[in-house]
Amino acid sequence: MQTTLTSLIKERGQTYASIAHRTGLQARTVRMIATGETPMDRVTVGTVRQIAAALGVTAADLIEPALPYPGDPALSRSDRLSHAIREVMWGTTAPEAYPSPVESLDDPLAHVQPADFFAGTQAIDADRG
Amino acid sequence: MPIGAEAYRRVEPDAELSCGDIAYLTLARTRELGEAPPGNAYDPVGRVPAYPMPATLALAHGREVAVDTMFGLVVTHSCEIDRQKNRGADEGHWDCRLTVAPIVPEPRVRIRGDTATETADWDAIAANVPVASLYLPGVADLSAMDPELPAMPWPRAFADLRGLSTVSRQMVRADRLMGLSPDYLGVLQRQLVRFFVWRDVARHEQVEAMVGRRIVSAIPASPKGDRLAVALTADDGSSITVELLAR
Repeated sequence: MQTTLTSLIKERGQTYASIAHRTGLQARTVRMIATGETPMDRVTVGTVRQIAAALGVTAADLIEPALPYPGDPALSRSDRLSHAIREVMWGTTAPEAYPSPVESLDDPLAHVQPADFFAGTQAIDADRG
Repeated sequence: MPIGAEAYRRVEPDAELSCGDIAYLTLARTRELGEAPPGNAYDPVGRVPAYPMPATLALAHGREVAVDTMFGLVVTHSCEIDRQKNRGADEGHWDCRLTVAPIVPEPRVRIRGDTATETADWDAIAANVPVASLYLPGVADLSAMDPELPAMPWPRAFADLRGLSTVSRQMVRADRLMGLSPDYLGVLQRQLVRFFVWRDVARHEQVEAMVGRRIVSAIPASPKGDRLAVALTADDGSSITVELLAR
């Protein structure tokens, strides 16, 4: 997972181990925070400050940008949607990824066109499709 | 393989809610406290979806509500959405629930397994071969679909039918982006049938068709662990593959 912290570590040519050495934290702790396994909002302020100091940035620089929440009245509908598309669909702050849904077994029905599949099926409500 | 112009349609803000509407939503699910999605050990059987980092709300007895903020696809049939309205019921008595499937974009998909067979085959996803997903093609410029939006692309994605949950009508209406085209709604309906019933139906029919036939050949496929797949061919030329569990 790409977080602000992993980007900063990479930009500065550091590693989990080097950050751990500078902060006195365990490398595993740094890795879990960097990969998002331990979300940044569950890390103590002191630890965030230590990591920020080791990277030469401010603690605020490590905080992930907040998602625009659905229905947020502070934003217009178009602003909510455009921010959400950038953050959620394109993943500039990519959270945990999904496994692929692909299955190894093929299913002949997957290749049947909808018109053929529903041929002969009585329409329930022709007006609404 | 569908393209965006074939799969989507523009939806006016005041248009009626319909099956195939796509909206930005918060989706809730309950789980045991801190229960995590599968890690690096890929589960080839369950294929439990791993959702992005959710917000959580603690419940009693070691349980919690996990809330995912993501785009979702309405799968409730339009006839059901309008059923009470068409019967003349007052709006206050319309069922407020819509069933939606979370939308998983390509930039979020990563293979967890390390076997050659478990690959992110977007050709297969785009052909809607997996039963648990509906392919959603990319759009080069969403402003063509919604003039209020800036020019921006929409990545190809899939609606994950394993993660269905319910949201209120008003949530869909507030942040609705676009809808599926009438033609592509047929593909959604086909996928829903496949996901919920087809596998059982297919097995039943295949097995029934083999009753009374003589098996003329049995070809074992490559074993996986303690499982062995065997392709059986009947005297009428029909075939079925069964999986045997070694004990």
